[in-house]
Amino acid sequence: METYSYVNIFETKGLEYLLLICFLVLFILLIRYLNPAKTKL
Amino acid sequence: MDEKTTVGNEFKRFVRFILQEMKPRGKMLTPFNIISIPIILLGAIILVIRFTQGLGAVTNLSQDFPWGFWIGFDVITGVAFAGGAYIITFVVYVMKVEKYHPIVRVTVLNGLLAYIFYAGALVLDLGKPWNIINPIIGNSFGYNSVLFLVAWHFLLYMMAEFIEFSPVVAEWLGWRRVRKFLNTLTLGAVIFGITLSSLHQSGLGALFLLAKSKIHPLWYTEFIPILFFVSSIFAGLSMIIVEGTISHRVFKNQLDPTHHVAFDEIIFGLAKGATISMFTYYFFKALIFIHERHWTHLNGFWGVWYLVEVIGLVLIPCFMFAYGVRNKSLGIIRTAAVLTLLGIILNRLNVSVIAFKWNAAVKYYPSWMEIIVTLMIIFSEIWVFRWIVTRMPVYKESRDFALVS
Repeated sequence: METYSYVNIFETKGLEYLLLICFLVLFILLIRYLNPAKTKL
Repeated sequence: MDEKTTVGNEFKRFVRFILQEMKPRGKMLTPFNIISIPIILLGAIILVIRFTQGLGAVTNLSQDFPWGFWIGFDVITGVAFAGGAYIITFVVYVMKVEKYHPIVRVTVLNGLLAYIFYAGALVLDLGKPWNIINPIIGNSFGYNSVLFLVAWHFLLYMMAEFIEFSPVVAEWLGWRRVRKFLNTLTLGAVIFGITLSSLHQSGLGALFLLAKSKIHPLWYTEFIPILFFVSSIFAGLSMIIVEGTISHRVFKNQLDPTHHVAFDEIIFGLAKGATISMFTYYFFKALIFIHERHWTHLNGFWGVWYLVEVIGLVLIPCFMFAYGVRNKSLGIIRTAAVLTLLGIILNRLNVSVIAFKWNAAVKYYPSWMEIIVTLMIIFSEIWVFRWIVTRMPVYKESRDFALVS
C-alpha cells in the first residue's frame, strides 16, 4: 500500500527546499547590505 | 686562505648577531610578564610530573575519557584559530588582493606558531609520546585513517608555513640571495598550504564521525567535516581582528603611521568575509537541524546550550559584523570578533568534551593542572611571538630590502 504523501512537507523535504530558497534570497540581501550602492554626486 | 678567513669572519659576525638578538629588550616588569612567568614555570613543573608519572598524575583522563581538554581546546580549537593564515595567503598571493598584504607576515607567523604550539601539544596527550613518529614512518598505522591524514597534514603544513615565513628570517639575517630564492617558493608553498589546510580543518571534524553514539544528536552530523572547515574561515578572520587590534596597541612603535589607517580598512574587509562565512555556516546548521528533525531535542539543558552556541555566538555576532561593516564601527566589529571566538571555543569543546558522552553517569572535567598547562602553552606562544615581532621585519618589510625590491 502506498503511504507516501506528496503534500507532506516533511516527507518531500519541503522545509529544506524552503530554507534553501530563504538562504539564497537573504544572501543576496546581505551582500547588498554589506556593499551599499554609492550615490552619484 | 683568504676565502677561509672570509667565511670565518662571516660566521663570527653571524654568531655575534644572534647573541645580540638573544638579549632581552624592553621592561621586564610588565603586567603580562608578572602573570605569565609564574604560570609558565608552574606548567613546566606539571609537565615534568606528567612525563615522569604519566597522564593520570596530572589529568582527569581515563579509559572512558581518553580525550580531554588538551585535545579539545589546544589542538581542535587552536587549529581552527590558526585558519586565518591560509585565508589571507590565498587572498593575497592567489587572488592578488594587495589590500591585505600588510598583514600577511604577521598572520602567517601566528599560524605557524599556533601549529607548533597547539598541534605540538598533542605530544603531551599521548600516553607514549615517542609513538608520534609512527604515522610519519608508517609503522603499524592505518593508511586509511583520518588521524593518519591529520598527522601528515600537520607536519606538511608546518613546513609550508615555515617556507612562507622564511623570507622574513632571511631579511632579518641580511641574506639577500637566500631571501630572493625563498621568495620564489612562496606561491607554491601557499597553494600547497591551502590544500592541506582545507583538508585537515575538515579532517579534525571527521575524527568525530566514528563517535555517533557518543556525541549529543544536536552536535553530531555526518557533515561535521564541512562545518569544521567553514567555521575555521570565520574563526581565522576573527582571530586576525582580535590579535591585530591587540598587536597594534602593543607594537605600535613597529608600525608605519600609514599602516594604522590601512589596518582599519583591512578590518572592515575581514569583517565582511566573516559575515558571509558565518551566515552560510548558520544556514548549514539550520538545514542540518531541520533535516534531522531535532525539534524534540530543544527541550531542556542541551537544547538551551545549543541555542546559546548557534544563536548567541554565531547568528548575533554575524549581524554585529554586518552592522559594523555598514556603519564603519570598529568597536562593534571587535566585540563581534571576540564573541565569534567564544562561539568557536564552545563549538569545538561541545563536540569533543562537553556534549561528548553527554549521557554518561560520570562526567569528565579538566583538572586544574590541565588548565594551567593550556595557559602555559598560550603564554609561551605569546612570548615567542613577541620575541620574533620585536626583532624580525614582521610588521613591515625591512627598509634595505624594500629599497632593493
